[in-house]
Amino acid sequence: MKVKRSKGERIFSVFNYILLTVIMLICLYPVWYVGVASVSDGNLLTQHSGLLLKPIGFSLDAYKKVFQNPMIVKGYGNTLFILIVGVFLDIVMTSLGAYFLSRKHVMFKKGIMLMIVFTMFFSGGMIPFYLNLKDLHLTNTRWGLIIPFMIITRNLIIMRTSFESIPESLIEAAQIDGASHITILTKIVLPLSKAILAVMVLYYGVSIWNSWFWASAIIRNRELYPLQIILREILMQNDVTSMSSGASAADAESIAMTIKYATIMVATLPILCVYPFLQKHFTQGTMVGAVKE
Amino acid sequence: MKKNKVMSLILAASMTAASLAGCGGGAAEEPAATQAAAKPAEGGAAPAEFSYPMAAGDKLTYWAELTTTVSANFSNLGETPFAKGWMENTGADIEFLHPPIGQLREQFSLILADGNLPDMMEFNWMKDYPGGPEKAIKDGVIIPLNDVFDQYCPNIKKYLAEHPDIDKMIKTDEGHYYVFPFIRGDEDLCNTIGLMLREDWLKELNLEVPETIDEWHTVLTAFKEKGVDCPLTFEYTNNQYLDANPFVFAFDTFRSFYLGSDGKAHFGATEEGYKNYLETFHQWYEEGLIDPDIATLKNDQVSAKMTNGNAGAAMGQAGSRMGTWTSAAVQTNPDFVLKAAPQPSNEKGKKAEFGYVELPYSGRASVAITTSCKDVERAARLLDWAYGEEGHMYFNFGTEGVSYEMKDGEPVYTDEILKNPKGLPVSQAMSSYIRGNYNGPLVQDVRYLDQYYTIDSQKETPLVWGSGSSNGAAHMLPPVTPTADESKEFSTIMNEINTYRDEMTLKFIFGTEDLANFDQYVANIEKMGIARATEIQNAALERYNAR
Amino acid sequence: MEKRSLAYRIQKDWSRNKALYLLVIPVLIFYIVFHYKPMYGAIIAFKDYTPALGVAKSPWVGLDNFTRFFNSIYFGRLIRNTVLLSLYNLIFGFPAPIILALLLNEVKNKKFKSLTQTITYLPHFISLIVVVGMITDFSLSTGLFNDIAALFGMERAPLLQDPKLYRSIYVISSIWQEVGWGAIIYLSALAGVDSQLYEAAQIDGAGKWKQLIHVTLPAIAPTIIVMLILKTGSLMNMGYEKTILLSNPATYETADIISSYVYRIGLLEQDWSYSTAIGLFNSVINMALLIFTNKMSKKYSETSLW
Repeated sequence: MKVKRSKGERIFSVFNYILLTVIMLICLYPVWYVGVASVSDGNLLTQHSGLLLKPIGFSLDAYKKVFQNPMIVKGYGNTLFILIVGVFLDIVMTSLGAYFLSRKHVMFKKGIMLMIVFTMFFSGGMIPFYLNLKDLHLTNTRWGLIIPFMIITRNLIIMRTSFESIPESLIEAAQIDGASHITILTKIVLPLSKAILAVMVLYYGVSIWNSWFWASAIIRNRELYPLQIILREILMQNDVTSMSSGASAADAESIAMTIKYATIMVATLPILCVYPFLQKHFTQGTMVGAVKE
Repeated sequence: MKKNKVMSLILAASMTAASLAGCGGGAAEEPAATQAAAKPAEGGAAPAEFSYPMAAGDKLTYWAELTTTVSANFSNLGETPFAKGWMENTGADIEFLHPPIGQLREQFSLILADGNLPDMMEFNWMKDYPGGPEKAIKDGVIIPLNDVFDQYCPNIKKYLAEHPDIDKMIKTDEGHYYVFPFIRGDEDLCNTIGLMLREDWLKELNLEVPETIDEWHTVLTAFKEKGVDCPLTFEYTNNQYLDANPFVFAFDTFRSFYLGSDGKAHFGATEEGYKNYLETFHQWYEEGLIDPDIATLKNDQVSAKMTNGNAGAAMGQAGSRMGTWTSAAVQTNPDFVLKAAPQPSNEKGKKAEFGYVELPYSGRASVAITTSCKDVERAARLLDWAYGEEGHMYFNFGTEGVSYEMKDGEPVYTDEILKNPKGLPVSQAMSSYIRGNYNGPLVQDVRYLDQYYTIDSQKETPLVWGSGSSNGAAHMLPPVTPTADESKEFSTIMNEINTYRDEMTLKFIFGTEDLANFDQYVANIEKMGIARATEIQNAALERYNAR
Repeated sequence: MEKRSLAYRIQKDWSRNKALYLLVIPVLIFYIVFHYKPMYGAIIAFKDYTPALGVAKSPWVGLDNFTRFFNSIYFGRLIRNTVLLSLYNLIFGFPAPIILALLLNEVKNKKFKSLTQTITYLPHFISLIVVVGMITDFSLSTGLFNDIAALFGMERAPLLQDPKLYRSIYVISSIWQEVGWGAIIYLSALAGVDSQLYEAAQIDGAGKWKQLIHVTLPAIAPTIIVMLILKTGSLMNMGYEKTILLSNPATYETADIISSYVYRIGLLEQDWSYSTAIGLFNSVINMALLIFTNKMSKKYSETSLW
């Protein structure tokens, strides 16, 4: 069926496109900047200030140096391991929790919900958390970066809200047919929640990809460092060298800014590419609505 | 217990020349200085015969920050030729542990919290352990090293005997040794930060290198008229540079504590001199002589301005700044020359009274043996080696024939270091073979510096910035330590005062706060308890002098 | 019915929901082991914690750490700055992703829509150090922002040294960095709105605006409210990293917030008890805010966290 578009709507539409294009450009610039800086000539870049629209000079030396760094490859391996295992466990645990919390007529649901929400705003602090990991032998292992972070409460609540919108009648019908909770969760709830699953994969994936603090706290063996720690080390390098003793600080070549930007590109591009793949699942969210009536 | 200690001290004194008078509360007689300390003598607790390498034993763990010039090529210090050779020479087997770069203090805290310490920890035990080194001993974190030095460490004992001033610095008020220290072995190594400016512009404008505040004003004004955006630039938020700010010294004051001519500690930022400094800087700021963005600048931007000609004068190190900037800038501007300017004084031709000098022992990168160490002798022997003749050469120059050669009795770095075949920059090549170019448990050798500085203006910096232009060393507060009880009070007071001072200093310079309110500012600092902090500092100084 | 004994009700609930409780056991264990067990450690706020002595053996100091914080000359300023900065972040930062999501929802061209989506979420992935580095660069008196201001005849000024501008720069840059990322959740909610509802509304002659008010917003309201409650509850939890990187002594007046103060004085000085005490104080305020918003939400919209 064809709907006539009023004049106002057309004006809005044009305005909308322009506005979004502007927002897009503003958001694109930093990535553009980093990308362009990473292929620029190091010395010329040092002397440049202000807006950077195209590479100054051209050189891929920075990328060569980055891939020569043995830590980058190891870091990739570690991050991928944590990412794949981590996201899987995160989704499993979060779904279990969200499913429980979305059920009706459960006596202790409210109590458990309160207990979970409470942790969002109250924590023992860093040292007790660390000592706890130590007691559980989760320090200096990649599992220490996975298991203690399996559920992010915020995500759990978002997922619960989504599960709650699934029509109760569907689940009750399945229960009457004698389906177990596991079956209902895996055969009915999750397939109807592809959109929120995609969001969760993205949320957990990105938080794992970007996390560095606990890795820096519990990992002593440099072979186990995730990529972000190595990225941070390279970014901090500039500040650190100026902090070390006068005569000893590094010379020109070692602080070339281009290496910094090349590392950012290498450490960021892969996770950027994940989004478009997940994005298409978001549209399937319509299914949830379709079932409703 | 105490008697035992005194006994062992007397024993030790008989074979070494260390000045231990401060330790036993005067119980030990002033020992006669002898030079026979190289080998442990018979009769002491030490085994009569000992020679490197040691027999095989347990692996030792060693925790240290990995410097960026190492991490660029190695993921662990243990992989460097330096560390391999160190282990081979001493016979010790070491497992190196490192915090991520920039996370030194955070990881240090966590390691302390878990109680399972590495055998040796390289850290600034003097400044960064809350409560100071004596508290670290009392807390059961590290062991006092007096007996260890006596029994296993002839090299460091000999060095300390020959350098009583250093001996005094590396002890606590109670007379405990607590680290194998990082020591700058020469005055030149203590003068690495100072002012520098464009000599090519000075020539063009027919000006001399400025020596007084007035001359600086003339030079900066001339730069400005020449069309330079910000004649003087440096990061006004980097404490390292602020503590060394020559323009404050030019008004005979410090931004924090200094040693007055009366031998007492004074807090400079409330003095008349500091007010005069603020007045001058405010005027310069108004006139556009100082970078308007001074409070937000970072290393990147200062480097950019200095190399692209938007700024003409700055402050920094001869190595990482003067050298880096020059080599970057000459590629596009062959005339570019940076020259070191002396500490400005208040009168032409007069040596400045105040100036910046690093202390030979600043506490940094010094190694303590922890209470978790099971084989103290092994760790001690390993560390002591660096202070002997062989170890000293190894830590500063590496292996003869590989990283250095002897020419006319002087060590000269080979091309492996200076023109690395793999194309490594000098600092990275050095860091593969030695530790003397950054820090660590060793005595830094000045002969390294002479070869590391390659540009003429770099070579003259130690003299221009150092004793050649000021009596600064006379006003540096020695490495005093507040008692464990006082240290918390002291840091609480000073944290608030420092924050306030930094904030107000910038407001006075920018003119957002009128200098007429300086008295109010002083009154506020007094209200925050500067008198108490100064008292604590002076008590610590007295204890230090009594060592 | 209410008269039935508690034991009976528990028994009935158990027989009914046994399988469900078994399912949630791993989740409960997770929360007990990784959240509640470490909470015991928060008692160091009332102690003079010395790592070598451990949590249990460190001496008690009562409320010393709290009085120290309340008596600090910066206490008033820290509270004011933290609250104001969070409020601005909430007032301007919260609606931004919703608006972006709604705008995107109106875009018919699928390629353009997905391109915009992909690009607006890019800044979220740039490390904070780099982002702040760029903001600092652009705010210099010779920087991009001043270049633009100069075009309009305004005088060049170092923007990040002005305490009056600090909060605006902080909030705007946060919106810029997070708007696309924040919109994801709303886009997903929007995707779930039944298209029949729109068709029905169109047949009724409702224009775009009416559709927005009567169809779209009610449909995504639960998501908005949950997000709002979550955000309000963490009002006091402004991270220290951005403040540490973006502020300088010239802007402390408006920039210094509780967490950056804790970082400077607690963390770098390793005064764990003091920083835990301030953290505890923060938590209490957060709890109060959370309970308040949840109650309000329950009253007016029937959506609540519990």
